[in-house]
Amino acid sequence: MIELRNVTLKYGEKLVLDKVSLAVQDNTIKAVLGPSGVGKSTILKLMLGLIKPNSGQVFVDGLDITSMKEADLYPIRRKMGIVFQGNALFDSMTISQNLSFFLRENLRLPEDEIGRRVAEQIRFAGLEGYEDQLPESLSGGMRKRVAIGRALIFNPKMILFDEPTAGLDPVSSKKILNLIASLKKSNDLGAAFVTHIIDDVFAIADHVAVLYQGKIIFDGETEKLHESDHPFIRSILSDKILEL
Amino acid sequence: MPLTLIRSYADQTILRLKEFLLVMQEFLLFSVRAFTTIPKIKRYWRDFLDQAAICGAESIPIVLVSSISIGSLLAIEVGNLLEDFGAKTMLGRSTSISVLRELGPLLMGLMLSARYGSRNGAELGAMQISEQIDALRAFGTDPVAKLVMPRLMAALVMFFPLTALADFSGLQAAGLLSEHYHHIDPGIFWNSVYPRLTPKDFVASFLKAPVFAIIITLVSSFNGFLARGGTAGVGRSTIKGIVVSSGLVLIANFYVSKLVLENMR
Repeated sequence: MIELRNVTLKYGEKLVLDKVSLAVQDNTIKAVLGPSGVGKSTILKLMLGLIKPNSGQVFVDGLDITSMKEADLYPIRRKMGIVFQGNALFDSMTISQNLSFFLRENLRLPEDEIGRRVAEQIRFAGLEGYEDQLPESLSGGMRKRVAIGRALIFNPKMILFDEPTAGLDPVSSKKILNLIASLKKSNDLGAAFVTHIIDDVFAIADHVAVLYQGKIIFDGETEKLHESDHPFIRSILSDKILEL
Repeated sequence: MPLTLIRSYADQTILRLKEFLLVMQEFLLFSVRAFTTIPKIKRYWRDFLDQAAICGAESIPIVLVSSISIGSLLAIEVGNLLEDFGAKTMLGRSTSISVLRELGPLLMGLMLSARYGSRNGAELGAMQISEQIDALRAFGTDPVAKLVMPRLMAALVMFFPLTALADFSGLQAAGLLSEHYHHIDPGIFWNSVYPRLTPKDFVASFLKAPVFAIIITLVSSFNGFLARGGTAGVGRSTIKGIVVSSGLVLIANFYVSKLVLENMR
């Protein structure tokens, strides 16, 4: 489980998150919904300890990681996988090198075990035959699937997605959402994703938190979002547009 | 009204000073991190070899061009000057001091700041913008150990032979020009060079190699890591890296020379 407790974060003088509290339970899919530029990706980076809050605490499986040293955070981060918005694949490496890179870096595994895990993720992502291609030669949806494969390479308990369908065509978006939903069922994984697309939330999320002007204005089961009488939530439910 | 303006100006100045001190603190920690990860060099051996090829072998042409041109120009200009005093036979000594102690390593440093520094800044800046550096951290790899330390070690190792090459080719160019432009016998030229070279000349030259390597690599890499704001941000951070490292190379050149000249006989 990952939990943010009363987290406040400022970039310079700008208040990005104002006493935000939210939790992502194991084996559930949680969405953080909000307009662009409101600090949704920042929440994921806080969960991984990539940035430190100005105040408040971040817990991973009950362990306070807020003031942990970078070196102590590495094993904790490996419990989680992350899929960045732009995928963050290493553009000078082939697909199989991208998938095997962190295994070679961080685990002393025999080469045949590395090969087995890479082949498993290649199959999972449906990218057989593309092992030796560079990321630039793949479509947006395929690159996203490689990034998901990379995030799964350490067999994490939780996987974090930053705008998983941003920039993808409707067919690829649907495939990626189905893939995320299937991870919970087949791999018993929890997932958290941040998005500004409300349809994605209703498609796969069990729970949703709505971030607006630095505060969480709703946190609960996705179906109960319709019961909220907050003006912002009413407006997004009617317009489905979050670019406010 | 003027009081408000003064107060606003003072507040802004204090804010900028705070930001500057914060960046300096970050740079110090970044530099310490780069040095403390040197024991991991075995793990990043391939990265080290790649960087050694980039900053070493691939930099040879630019080092040759700069050192040959400065050696040739020095021979022509200093030779003309010495001719007025009837002291053309001293051309070897005067050019060798200038090339060895100062202009050889300095020009090499500036050229490598532009070539190696800009490459580091742009490459690491692009990795920062595309979240590849965050990805390294997120999956448990220290980006300073993986990306900066091999660059630093490659520069520390390769700047020595490049300095030797710059000194040698600059002197050879000066020797050729003294023969063909000033019609000085090569024997006379080289006789005024070799017997009078002192350890001080070589120390002044080769002590600059590691100093420049540290400045260029750390400043350009740090600026790459700080890149923000898309492709324009990569451009800004790369330029900043080159400007700052070139300025520091010039300052360090002066102080290293001063240190050696004042402390060696």
